[in-house]
Amino acid sequence: MTDITPNGITPLPPEKKDIEFTSDSWRPIRESRNVKEGTNEFNQAIEGISLNQEAWRRLKKNKMAIGGLYVIIFYALICLSAPILPIHSYKKIILDHQYLPPSLTKTAGDLVYEKKEFRLKRIAQKQGRNFLNDAEKTQLAELRRTIETETMVIDGKTIKTYERQYFLGTDYHGRDMLSRIIYGGQVSIAIGLVGTFTSVLIGIIIGSISGFLGGKIDYFVMRFVDIMYGLPYILIVIIFMALFGQHILNLFFAIALVSWLNVARVVRGQVISLKNSDFVEAARSIGASSRRIIFKHMVPNTFGIIIVFASLEIPHFIMIEAFLSFLGLGISAPFASWGSLVGDAVEGMALYPWRLFFPSLAMVIFLFSMNFLGDGLRDALDPKSKNRL
Amino acid sequence: MGKYFIRRFLGLLPTLFVIITISFFMIRLAPGGPFDEEKAVPQEILVNIEKKYHMDEPIVMQYGRYLLDILRGDLGPSFRYPDHDVNFFIVSSLPTSLLLGSMSMGLALFLGIGSGILCAVRQNTWVDYFFMSIAVMGISIPLFVIGPVLMYFFALKMHWLPTSGWVDSRAGWITVLMPVVTLASYYFAYLARLSRASIIETLRSDYVRTARAKGLSGPVIMFKHVLKGAMLPVVSYLGPAFAAIMTGSVVVEQIFRVPGLGKFFVQSAFNRDYTLIMGTVIVYSIILIIMNFIVDIVYSFLDPRITYK
Repeated sequence: MTDITPNGITPLPPEKKDIEFTSDSWRPIRESRNVKEGTNEFNQAIEGISLNQEAWRRLKKNKMAIGGLYVIIFYALICLSAPILPIHSYKKIILDHQYLPPSLTKTAGDLVYEKKEFRLKRIAQKQGRNFLNDAEKTQLAELRRTIETETMVIDGKTIKTYERQYFLGTDYHGRDMLSRIIYGGQVSIAIGLVGTFTSVLIGIIIGSISGFLGGKIDYFVMRFVDIMYGLPYILIVIIFMALFGQHILNLFFAIALVSWLNVARVVRGQVISLKNSDFVEAARSIGASSRRIIFKHMVPNTFGIIIVFASLEIPHFIMIEAFLSFLGLGISAPFASWGSLVGDAVEGMALYPWRLFFPSLAMVIFLFSMNFLGDGLRDALDPKSKNRL
Repeated sequence: MGKYFIRRFLGLLPTLFVIITISFFMIRLAPGGPFDEEKAVPQEILVNIEKKYHMDEPIVMQYGRYLLDILRGDLGPSFRYPDHDVNFFIVSSLPTSLLLGSMSMGLALFLGIGSGILCAVRQNTWVDYFFMSIAVMGISIPLFVIGPVLMYFFALKMHWLPTSGWVDSRAGWITVLMPVVTLASYYFAYLARLSRASIIETLRSDYVRTARAKGLSGPVIMFKHVLKGAMLPVVSYLGPAFAAIMTGSVVVEQIFRVPGLGKFFVQSAFNRDYTLIMGTVIVYSIILIIMNFIVDIVYSFLDPRITYK
């Protein structure tokens, strides 16, 4: 095994004889030794390890982070393929199927029948009977007949209504919880991504310009950020949503309005520390414009920190949205998000606990994975970070 | 030094002013008004009502009038509950919210820093893993999930605790348990992680090694030397934490039916009760600003590098 230097170049054994200087020695090394592109001066393929590859290697060692990544990919696949998955519609209301408990094997018909039978038996017990009387038996028989015969048309196909199965139960309107959780996940994750993207975009632009220009502009922008930072911003978002209505665009707007502050601060700090570096000096000396220097040279250098930040910000946005939806200020029916599903479930959770547990579980697992991945990314991309927990 | 604090304090006033201005105009810009009823009110009555509340004046006049009222300490009459002033609602419900918030913060600080120390001292043992897994859970599970789930198990299934209510109800002080634990969970988790990381870093520093070399005992080093330095990031996190506890208490108050200020906050925005919204926002902001100010002062006491100019 030969030693491998950090560049991946195997060093040659030291030459024994004294070096003889010829006119060749003063020619560029590539020319003199007939070196091909993409190889080092000894014609070995160059396998440099970029910072990103290094980070990726560090990330791969972190089992929790990789586990989180797999879970997130799984969620993304499920949510993206929701329209082609064999699940029920998330907004189809079947009132007869109200509050059916989750079951992997039983059809809606079985559950409705059991429920009815149970109720009748309880009434009978209260009246001091051990058996069902004839009227009740006919009721059950009628129900059985309806279950066997009733059909409905969904998407142009006629199906038997009571043969539907609800693996995770149904809600107040008889809507399938499984598909509501999946479609709710779509909304929640989309809000997390869009919110993070907007806040990062605004933050990069304002932070980098402010940090690069410095002086009065920087002072005023940062004073403004400080004041905004002191605001109880969730309170303002709550008022905003309550006043202007629960439209999804309002939600995006309200969240984006207040969320860029952190990114702006971080990017500004990075830009200021990069401002006096040699490569910026070099770019300036060959006449690059300020805009080019900021967006071509400095911003890419802040990407590491921004990726870390974004990965920890996505769960944060999902939580804000869920928080608002829980208060009844976010997504409104028939659409759902994890937060609105949990919020709806609080009422009557003693009787219908599945409505609370499944959306909560879906959300918590996702947030867990995001946090693990975020922590892992921070350790990998920003190993010297002061904010390590 | 006194001068420094006064200047810092005066510096907080612009923030409050910005909050008041933003909320005032945002509320007025929103569609709908406080006197919109299901049934249309006759024009003459509407004119009279608007006159009573000075709603017929130009908005800038109203704004100026409102600022003057606030300076006198009067938050105005409620638009929706004509018999009561906003001051009345705030005086009657703020103590509840403050009690809930301060108990949660106290619990979070005590348990968070306590388990942080424990984990830092017993790093990479089962104690460390145990508390840190709880902390990760606390960070990942939103309080509006923790609240209902706690309520389901401890109140509805086990019947150990009452589902809702507050200290003045029949059940008494036991009612505070679930709201406080719910509200404290996230901040406990965050503080535990933060103080653990910070203490571990401080334990590696030179002055701690010097203290060890002098032969000081473990507890003396921890409580006299390490903690003071390690608490800096924790203290600077407290400002945002107070803000978040306040917003969190809006939800917790709703889940556990706690009669605090949070209830009025969301409701008044739906009702377009202009003065009540403004009142709650101002009260929340003042609490937040004062807390941030206290945090600043504590920070400057802890950190010898900060000088007062």
